[in-house]
Amino acid sequence: MSSAVTEQIRKEYGAVHAALPASVIEPARRAEAIERLCAQGLPATREENWRYTNLRVLEHVRFAPIETQSQAVPPLPEALPGFVRYVFVDGLLRSGAAGSHPGLTVRSLRTPGPSSSATWGPCPDFPEARLALLNEAFATDALLIEAHANAAPAAIELVFAASAGAQAGASYPRVHVVLEASAELIVLERHMGAPEAASLVNSAVRADVGENARLTHYRLQHCAPRTAWFDTLTAQLAAQARYHLLTVGTGALTARSTVHVRLAGAGAELALSAAALADRQQSHDMYALSEHVAPNTRTTETFRGIASGRARVAFNGKIAVRERAGGSDSRQSLRGLLDGPEAEVDLRPQLEIYTDEVRCSHGATAGKLDQNMLFYLLSRGIAPQTAQHLLKWAFLEDVVAKIECAELRRQIERDLASQMSAAATLKELL
Amino acid sequence: MLKIENLHATVDGKEILKGLELEVPAGEVHAVMGPNGSGKSTLAYVLAGRPGYAVTAGRISFQGQDLLALSPEERARAGVFLGFQYPVEIPGVNNVYLLKAAINAARKQRGEPEVDAFEFLTLVREKMRLMRMDESMLSRGVNEGFSGGEKKRNEILQMLVLEPRLAVLDETDSGLDIDALKIVAHGVNTLRGPQRSLVLVTHYQRLLEHIVPDRVHVLVNGRIVRSGDRTLALELERRGYDWLIGEAA
Ligand SMILES: Nc1ncnc2c1ncn2[C@@H]1O[C@H](COP(=O)(O)OP(=O)(O)OP(=O)(O)O)[C@@H](O)[C@H]1O
Ligand SMILES: [Mg+2]
Repeated sequence: MSSAVTEQIRKEYGAVHAALPASVIEPARRAEAIERLCAQGLPATREENWRYTNLRVLEHVRFAPIETQSQAVPPLPEALPGFVRYVFVDGLLRSGAAGSHPGLTVRSLRTPGPSSSATWGPCPDFPEARLALLNEAFATDALLIEAHANAAPAAIELVFAASAGAQAGASYPRVHVVLEASAELIVLERHMGAPEAASLVNSAVRADVGENARLTHYRLQHCAPRTAWFDTLTAQLAAQARYHLLTVGTGALTARSTVHVRLAGAGAELALSAAALADRQQSHDMYALSEHVAPNTRTTETFRGIASGRARVAFNGKIAVRERAGGSDSRQSLRGLLDGPEAEVDLRPQLEIYTDEVRCSHGATAGKLDQNMLFYLLSRGIAPQTAQHLLKWAFLEDVVAKIECAELRRQIERDLASQMSAAATLKELL
Repeated sequence: MLKIENLHATVDGKEILKGLELEVPAGEVHAVMGPNGSGKSTLAYVLAGRPGYAVTAGRISFQGQDLLALSPEERARAGVFLGFQYPVEIPGVNNVYLLKAAINAARKQRGEPEVDAFEFLTLVREKMRLMRMDESMLSRGVNEGFSGGEKKRNEILQMLVLEPRLAVLDETDSGLDIDALKIVAHGVNTLRGPQRSLVLVTHYQRLLEHIVPDRVHVLVNGRIVRSGDRTLALELERRGYDWLIGEAA
């Protein structure tokens, strides 16, 4: 089955490759990506780290990028103060303040420009990153964001909107974020789509966080209900770098995010906070590998997932501590909430340690709503549905409360409440 | 106000209440005492309608209506309040939100509009002062990280804000230091009145010095085996329960 799909990919690539922009990715590298992908094969459900992903959707999609750009831009969320917004429709940059902001260079690689010292080397040989090869082969645009050394903190919002149906083709969001030493940047990524969009979205994001730099990275996945969203994020942290990655996923039919963070410099810190809210037939799956290769590095991981209806939510968090990563510290708190007899939550905390002198604590629990809490609220006169909404809300707050930008937090809270059909019962909180 | 007749209740198939009779007229304070495991909390939970506590026989009437026909939230809105022996921590739901939601639920039931924001805060602040609670507790999660005594005060705060008709306080005095006991007792006393009734579950005569009960009942093995005036509590303090357990058997 998988080889039939790779053949399909090869065929579609053959038909369109001549038209793919060389300034985004050179033709030779695209060809190599296709070769590597076909040689390695697509991920399969029998593989340990793909067990919970709905990979069958790949049998029914078109891989070639959408050719004609739709004129329709889906309604965009309210702009946030302080954020500079860039809008991509079906993978192509549609609008955004081109050029430079103080201390910041942002440009689309589709229009050939000055060469940059920032390079996005070929995909690492990280076996889970295979879908990034697909992005590398087909990407029609790429955004390069460079925050220069010691520049003032900046905030950027990237909106990736899908407009077209599955027959029209796929889209390949591609972003490279580079923070030079001591830079500070907030990047907000939104993945969304028009209601009828049923396409494949396969994004690849790479972040290089320089020494003592600080990247806050918010990722909101609220794609249209029929979207298949695949995503590969790789990040490399230099000494004393801090990376806060916070993701909230509510949309898509199937969503899979693959994250690989290398804590490469001493004292680097990763805070990964993720919330998933899935209902009906949705499947949300995240695989996160945090690799400690330098001493005194730290990972703090928080996951909260709610599965309702027949939905499935999975989080597979692996923390690997290599030989030279003495003195490192890792904490994992993974929790799942089963909201209905047919829902499924799978949590897998994994720890792989090759050195002594490390501190780690992890906990993973999945269960139903706490009946004691529920009764306590009822005993105060609160309606059962409101009480349930409140408890689900409180559950996700473990992640949402970590959003420092108040306007963004409110936006996300409103979005979560409406996803839970709780906007009316929780209105006092919104 | 409250009339319980021949109440039988089971938990996980095990019969805990075995023909309990209790009547609390409006305006009175009744104390329920009894050995550990005798069924005091079970009685409190049955009154509040906790799932899992099955009434297999008997009747409970509250202000003339069949209490057992009401769901837990309907009971609360009708004016039944349970002060938990072990108040539950609910991280992420803040105290002030809970108070407001609870008040509004009761108001909605009575066909009244939602509480005015200013009026509400004034009320809550006044009751907090009465309970000597720090206002910062309002923005914290419900009972989250509260000490044992703080949790009990928070129960009483909720009661004062909600002004129930019938309050069942399950060992609200345990875990309180001497000063806190006085504060809590004072709070409870402010709520006493001709149209309200109170059931105090306690192990200690000390609470009853501050909240003087009209009647004292002894619950042993799922039944009220003796009732009397406040001197019964003093007698229990002196003699323990053995003599009553013997009689009950
Ligand atoms: N789920 C259960 N299954 C079986 N027995 C139970 C269950 N829950 C409570 N019980 C039993 O019911 C009895 C009464 O418990 P209850 O909590 O009402 O006692 P209590 O009088 O409040 O005691 P205490 O003074 O210690 O608070 C106890 O023997 C207890 O073990
Ligand atoms: Mg008890």
